[in-house]
Amino acid sequence: MYKFIISLFLFFVFGSGFAQETEIEKSELEQDSIVYKTAYGLRLGADISKPIKSTIDGFYNSGFEIIGDYRISKRFYVAAELGYEDETNQEDYTNSRAKGSYARLGFNYNAYDNWLDMNNEIFVGYRYGFSLFEQTLNSYTPNIGNEYFPANTITPNTTADLSAHWSELMVGAKVETFSNLFVGFSFSYKILMGVKEQEGFKTLYSPGFNRIFDSGTGFGFNYTISYLIPFSKK
Amino acid sequence: MSCEKDDFCTQNPVTPNLILRFYDDSNRESVKVVDNLYVWAEGKDSLFINSSLDSLFIPLNSAATETVYNFSKNNVVNQFTIQYTTENEYVSRSCGFKVIFNDVNFASDNTWITDFEPNTLTTIENQTEAHVQIYH
Repeated sequence: MYKFIISLFLFFVFGSGFAQETEIEKSELEQDSIVYKTAYGLRLGADISKPIKSTIDGFYNSGFEIIGDYRISKRFYVAAELGYEDETNQEDYTNSRAKGSYARLGFNYNAYDNWLDMNNEIFVGYRYGFSLFEQTLNSYTPNIGNEYFPANTITPNTTADLSAHWSELMVGAKVETFSNLFVGFSFSYKILMGVKEQEGFKTLYSPGFNRIFDSGTGFGFNYTISYLIPFSKK
Repeated sequence: MSCEKDDFCTQNPVTPNLILRFYDDSNRESVKVVDNLYVWAEGKDSLFINSSLDSLFIPLNSAATETVYNFSKNNVVNQFTIQYTTENEYVSRSCGFKVIFNDVNFASDNTWITDFEPNTLTTIENQTEAHVQIYH
């Protein structure tokens, strides 16, 4: 982390230096014979926020996500996430539970200029995500709006096989803390492209997407630890 | 995430009440206020006490297929019975399910009420207008 902060600091110092004396500095840089190589390879890891969430959030029954990316050029990474989530949705008048698997595929673009041979990332990314899951309407109490005749709670326990797909825009960072070991986080803005609704009810949650609101948009967060299996240095 | 439009149920009420409107029996076009009106469902506390109203919004029992109301005017009780079937329809995340009342039948023992219409309704699913006209 210190390495990252220092490199970030140096980046801004030298970045502004370059900006002031652009032409001369640039030509000197191009003539520089030393080329710093960084590792290319397959990076695999997991989102550690989901197991933590399942222990502190009583409605988040379980969740895990494995992540992977493969560097294809200096700045581009092909990236994917695979996961499983199980969440109970306790609303004012309904109780339902959705659980199932999801996959997200896309790419990251590293917008960060590394100092020397460092291999950190501040990235923007795109993902296409889809999920296959089931939702069970456990119980509901009709919203009768009065206390004069109390409503009975109904337990239909109806389950439906559902699916959803969406697009995500991501921003995040990955920092090499030890050699080939990366810690990262990302935020994503999700736009629902389609969802199969449960008959006589509505699909309130999709694994990988999170809660589905009328607007069809959502936010996601992950905190990852990953390990790079280097194939080559370029 | 707290300002999504389906976070709060703005539709009110979700489940419709029964709306009765009181008219003059001798001039059926004109609304006539009922004075000294007491309203309670059979075996329940009063909903209205000594009121002067030209219309009534009263809930139907969604957990049963019949609701019996007593309308008392000047200490004369008129029993009004509503029979129906119920259907639960999903509205939204925050509003949940609403109850729709189908195949509705009305009956009255006509003490101070002289007449009412209609006798039946296929459905009560909203509160946009009165469901029953009561003549007295």
